[in-house]
Amino acid sequence: MNIVAITACPTGIAHTYMAAEKLEKTAKALGHKIKVETQGAMGIENELTAADIKAADAVLFAVDIEVEKRERFAGKKVVNVPVQQAIKDPAGVLAKLF
Amino acid sequence: MSATFRFSCPLPNGLHARPATHLADTVGRFKATVSLVNERTGRSANARSVLGLVGTDTRRGDPCRIDLAGADEAEAKDALEAYVVTELPKHDAPLVTEPIRVGTVVLPRSLVAAGLKDFVAGQPACVGVAIGAAVIVGRFVVPTDGVVPRRGDVAAEQGAFDDAVRAVRADLERMIGQGKGTEASVLKAHLAVLHDPTLHEAVTAAIAAGETAAIAVARVGGGQRDLLAAADSAYVRERALDVDDVTAQLWAKLAGVETRQTVPALTVPTIVFAEQLTPSQFLALDRNHLRGLVLAHGGQTSHVIILARSFGIPTLTGVSDALAIGRKARTAILDANLGLAVGNPTAPVLQHYERERAKLERMAATARSARTTLAVTADGTRLEVAANIASVEETEAAFAEGAEGIGLFRTELLFARQSKAPSEDEQAALYSAVVRAACGRPVIIRTLDVGGDKPVPFLTFPAEANPFLGYRGVRFYAEQAALIKDQLRAILRAAAMGPVKILVPMIATVEEARLVRRLLAEAEAELRSRNLAPAQPVPLGFMLEVPSTAFILDELCAEADFFSLGTNDLAQYFSAADRENTAVAALNHPLQPAFLRLLQHIVDRVHARGRWIGLCGELGENAAALPLLVGLGLDEISLARPRIAATKHALRFLDRALCRELLLRVAGASTRAEATARLAAAPAKPAPMLVSQLVLDRLEVGSKAEAIRVMVDALHEFGRTTDPVAVETAVWAREDAYSTGFGDGFALPHAKTDALTANSIVVARFARPIEWSSLDGKPVDVAILLAIRASDHGKTHLETLARLSRLAMRDEFRDGLRRETDAAGIVKLLIAATATGT
Repeated sequence: MNIVAITACPTGIAHTYMAAEKLEKTAKALGHKIKVETQGAMGIENELTAADIKAADAVLFAVDIEVEKRERFAGKKVVNVPVQQAIKDPAGVLAKLF
Repeated sequence: MSATFRFSCPLPNGLHARPATHLADTVGRFKATVSLVNERTGRSANARSVLGLVGTDTRRGDPCRIDLAGADEAEAKDALEAYVVTELPKHDAPLVTEPIRVGTVVLPRSLVAAGLKDFVAGQPACVGVAIGAAVIVGRFVVPTDGVVPRRGDVAAEQGAFDDAVRAVRADLERMIGQGKGTEASVLKAHLAVLHDPTLHEAVTAAIAAGETAAIAVARVGGGQRDLLAAADSAYVRERALDVDDVTAQLWAKLAGVETRQTVPALTVPTIVFAEQLTPSQFLALDRNHLRGLVLAHGGQTSHVIILARSFGIPTLTGVSDALAIGRKARTAILDANLGLAVGNPTAPVLQHYERERAKLERMAATARSARTTLAVTADGTRLEVAANIASVEETEAAFAEGAEGIGLFRTELLFARQSKAPSEDEQAALYSAVVRAACGRPVIIRTLDVGGDKPVPFLTFPAEANPFLGYRGVRFYAEQAALIKDQLRAILRAAAMGPVKILVPMIATVEEARLVRRLLAEAEAELRSRNLAPAQPVPLGFMLEVPSTAFILDELCAEADFFSLGTNDLAQYFSAADRENTAVAALNHPLQPAFLRLLQHIVDRVHARGRWIGLCGELGENAAALPLLVGLGLDEISLARPRIAATKHALRFLDRALCRELLLRVAGASTRAEATARLAAAPAKPAPMLVSQLVLDRLEVGSKAEAIRVMVDALHEFGRTTDPVAVETAVWAREDAYSTGFGDGFALPHAKTDALTANSIVVARFARPIEWSSLDGKPVDVAILLAIRASDHGKTHLETLARLSRLAMRDEFRDGLRRETDAAGIVKLLIAATATGT
């Protein structure tokens, strides 16, 4: 499965990246391909392109705040979870996508 | 016959007791009757009466008139006219104007978690934390009834009063002899009250009219006090307590009572609760045991508060039921940082404050040690911190404060008060005294720096339209070669006592530099013929204050052994703006990029030629500019005594390489606004994020609140914040959203706040895992606090934190961290792990 995700937490210095790390690790372990864009204190990193999104089977927002450039995902079904859930139970969160 | 002159009160804090005492002293040298009239308030006073002078309620800028009449009125007028301009302003002392904090205290989370509910709020008058037994001190009221029996007739009563005055004077003089600075000046103010002519005349009149001395003293003293208590100025009202104090002392002598009996003996660490205290009561309290003061009354300018501050005794004032609380409590805690006092604290609150007090004591000890250690930046680079002095008397105090040398000895004062030039012998004795007091530390003596604006009685300078651009400093040395060589020979002779350097002012050209070299050579030759030449050549240096020097540095380096930046005049001449002129002062600001670039050019060039360069202007005292001075790479900064210890201590937290980057960034700005913004945006105390002092191993804490408090305390103790409560609050703001304990015994608390002076990481390993409300429900044994400034725009630290956050998710990283045996190992692991490319 091709997964694209965005992580974003309010202070943007820790949980954004912790969630990204957890999702990447767990997705790979489960045999999926994943690209995670982080929206943190440094701004947008590893930005999801139109091509990434088009090719994605599932879109995940693990966020506590508004996602920037949300227009990219128009027409796509998005699963929303709080950031801490992605950290606490990444496998469970990924399961929600399917 | 009479003389008169007008002046505008120059004292920023008004004519209060200290300058009034000095003025009254000065007037005392003359025989004439001298009155001061405040033309704004209309009040006039006998200028020998301190109380009278203070009672005129004279503030800065008030138009004043001095009227003189008597045999020496002309001499007195001349002296006082000069005195008011040159001397009086020096006796001002800044009055502390702390804003009145209204009622509510915001408790940090750790105190709330410790269960603190019962406390009173007050106005901090001297910061600090104290824990001790609660003891109350009552107010001593001088009785106005016949408690003290009549001694005899008018003569007997007058005699008793005179004896009492003598006895109180003896006490005060003894205590002045034993006391240090502030204590001595408060007591001198009391001496002035004691001798006040208004007081004496009134008491004598009352005794002559039939009252006993005791009643006369009580009544007159009370009357004087009431007069002062009715003044507009809060400052003058505070003086009422001083009158009460002296009245009480006089009365006590007449009654045969010891003042010490009015305060209890202290036997254990104690916090005193009182409505108010007189300075005498305060001084009578055993300072070995006095830890804190809680008062109902006592403003910022009251002598008790001033004394408490000078002894560093935490004090809270404005606590209206101080006495009631003190009576009920057995033990008490005083937190004069937050502004609260607690009677009979519970065990958790006590434990919190014991930790806080221990931390503050460690910080104070470290700051104090700055006096006795050499100034060194965080990376181990030496930066000499020296003192600017203008008289021999200041030498000892400068070294006591931690000066590592005398960076500038201004010699003008030696010449200013004289009717003829001091001889070579007189000067040699003075300079030798300073060098001897320096005990081997370097002393830089500056040759005569006078001119049209700094006149000297025995030298006639041409009348100049603009003395600052005129015949001054080295410019008159050719004409006054004999005078200058006298001074040079005197300095050379002082070199026999220790390391001495000669500094010459106002050098602008190579010709002047060579002239001075020639004069020095001649002086040396003259001494050699008298067998008094110094064993080693004495280094000769030039002040860099005329901007032209910046472009002839190579040539000047050939003539000089060292340089010292006179930044006051350099900035003035460079910007063509007078910093006293509010219309243009902003142009003369140290953060003008051109000025910073000038300094950078000069220091770099001088160092490229292998010469030593220091700084002796006021810029050295500017705390905000210190990182820039470190960044310049100066060999030394020389400043006024009060700032020396604090500056040496501040240097410990600055990293030379980071300061250099900061300087380049700030000097690279185009405008002053941009420079200011860059200075503010960058960390005020550049320092590495990961250091071993911020690794807390085997931490004994019982709760998350305590853990976070202790980690924030580390930031406080090691100079990463001056407002730990604000940082603690910011961490909790994040923690309250949801727990930062993400599982597996790890937590990553974090905060973004400008209460931090540098981005920092604190690592804590707990002796016992603590409850953290973690996502997986398990307790936490390792916490890493990420503390960054909100207004920081640099990406490096954010990347480090992002990397650290990701690493924290990996088992091997967490296991590796747990396996490290000491703080150094943890720091190494973290630096390596978060380096680019991981």
